[in-house]
Amino acid sequence: MARISLQHVSKSFGGGHGPSAVKDFCLEIEDGELIVFVGPSGCGKSTTLRMIAGLEEATSGAILIGGRNVTHLPPKDRNVAMVFQNYALYPQKTVYDNMAFGLYVRGEDRKEIDRRVKAAAVSLDLEALLDRKPRQLSGGQMQRVALGRALVRDPDVFLLDEPLSNLDAKLRVKMREEIATLHARLGATMIFVTHDQVEAMTLGDRIVIMRDGVIQQAGKPLELYDRPANTFVAGFIGSPEMNLVNGQLVEDGERLAVRSGDLTLRIPENTFATQEKNVTLGIRPEHLVIADGSPLEMSVSLVEQIGAQTYLLGMIAGHKMRAVFERRDEIRSGDKVPIAFPTERLHLFSSAGGATLRKTEGRVAVHAKECA
Amino acid sequence: MVQDRRVVALFIGSILLLGVIIGGPLVYAIMLSFYSAKSFVGELQWVGLANYAKTIQDPLFWQAFANGLMIALAAIFLQVVLGVGIALVLNRRFFGQSVVRAVSILPYFLPTVVACLIAQWILDPNYGLLKSILASFGIGIADWSAQGVTARGTIVLVSVWLWTPFVITCVLAGLQTIPTQLYEAARVDGAGAWRQFWHITVPGLRSVLVVVILLRGIWMFNKFDLIWLLTKGGPLNQTETLPTLAYRKSFLEFNLGGGAAVATLSFLILAGVMLIYLRLFPIDDAKQGR
Repeated sequence: MARISLQHVSKSFGGGHGPSAVKDFCLEIEDGELIVFVGPSGCGKSTTLRMIAGLEEATSGAILIGGRNVTHLPPKDRNVAMVFQNYALYPQKTVYDNMAFGLYVRGEDRKEIDRRVKAAAVSLDLEALLDRKPRQLSGGQMQRVALGRALVRDPDVFLLDEPLSNLDAKLRVKMREEIATLHARLGATMIFVTHDQVEAMTLGDRIVIMRDGVIQQAGKPLELYDRPANTFVAGFIGSPEMNLVNGQLVEDGERLAVRSGDLTLRIPENTFATQEKNVTLGIRPEHLVIADGSPLEMSVSLVEQIGAQTYLLGMIAGHKMRAVFERRDEIRSGDKVPIAFPTERLHLFSSAGGATLRKTEGRVAVHAKECA
Repeated sequence: MVQDRRVVALFIGSILLLGVIIGGPLVYAIMLSFYSAKSFVGELQWVGLANYAKTIQDPLFWQAFANGLMIALAAIFLQVVLGVGIALVLNRRFFGQSVVRAVSILPYFLPTVVACLIAQWILDPNYGLLKSILASFGIGIADWSAQGVTARGTIVLVSVWLWTPFVITCVLAGLQTIPTQLYEAARVDGAGAWRQFWHITVPGLRSVLVVVILLRGIWMFNKFDLIWLLTKGGPLNQTETLPTLAYRKSFLEFNLGGGAAVATLSFLILAGVMLIYLRLFPIDDAKQGR
């Protein structure tokens, strides 16, 4: 197992003159950490993973695995194992041979190969499938074989490129648990790429959120949830996504408040930098509360019952917002629900650029620490 | 219902048409092999299996069979090896890739007669291009058509030139169906170029290669025009194959029954070999990677 260091790594296609896929990526991944790269399609998360694997050459910067500079080494010399989105199992080989191939090409002893393949098969519940061909397996089984193929290699780093994307919802949850269990058992360094924020939140020791090839924020899941560095992270993490309202900072008596149309909300003292006038106010749907007697009301236009919770969509003081409450059977579309905004739950971002105005936080600080 | 009847009518129509076009001549040729006849218009005389008895006792029949087999195997081997090799090169990205791809397929568009004339102009021992080039270095050239080995070699060479592009095209198409992620997985697993070729490319091309070898095998074994244009079966029957022998017997020796017997035996041999081949390398299973 190994520590990974990505130092100012950039990647542009078209001989280095084309569009940039990854820009100045800096990150230290600790030994045994499970880190998740998450972001929308085209954000550069897979490209970064492929650069660590050696399948893409970094245009600039350095990649260190276990203190060894591997930037220009081919994949086979990096001692990494990768699990692909489409499993990439060798179709003509049996499950056993798929798992054994990596050891066979490295000239491992036959008995040792057999021992390791069988051990991996036991741990992944693949013993009964060893003689089958990939086309005779279900999606979940294929993904377990792909994991097994990585496992037998005993690599320094496991790289998982959207490994659950092709599975149905139920199987995804099961495989997610299996990966988490596997990580806990092996204590291996793992990098997991996904576009699904739930996967990121549930699996990652830390999450790296990317957009347009740039790290937006890196941190523990709840740090990202509680203190998003910018409006992009605020919108990406959490479901339903955070309510964002553009407004102006104004004085409301002795306190500062954000005003947007008919909505005026006081903000907590000494929490945010207040030199900018134009700001974006954020509050998560699940942080809104029903408060009888509150002057603010939500005119409910849509009620979604998902079992344990009730999702509402409606207008509050002229702003379209979402709210999430513990199950409320009585609320109907067209109702007016009194709503309060807990001050300590509010987020404030700069309207220009979207960076958080929370003091001592932010993407810049995270980025600078990683790149130091 | 009207739709169904139309479909049935079209189906029966096409079966009848195929029966007339393919089945008719085939049945007629087989029938002819049981008769003695000097021409297609004269009276046929029933001889039973006499034509077959004569044919299998004729050393020339077996020599023609051996020649055909040798030429077909050598040509297929070279066409497949070169075809796969060139396709692998053309599959890589490089400047002018599409132009080179187009040029490499050009020979396939040449009519056989033109290709044979070009080959003869190049290889002619008296006034050929090769002779004059070698002569400028002071090197002489032997008459390729005077010896069996060189004559067969020339046939193989021209066939490789003409039909390797067919293999290239098929293999190039096959290469597009192999997912790049398999190569990436193999690279991460530690496989070099050679192991990637044997463990991913070759199994991935299996179904294409099974079909290509089958088709090239049938076409080469039945090749008539190329051999007739280049050597007419000579020297001393050294390049005689079953199709040229059947033609010679039928149209030069006016032994229609004998020629039909050779053609029928050739058909049966080829059908037998192909059935064994398809049993050993089933196309469906190859596709599914069994």
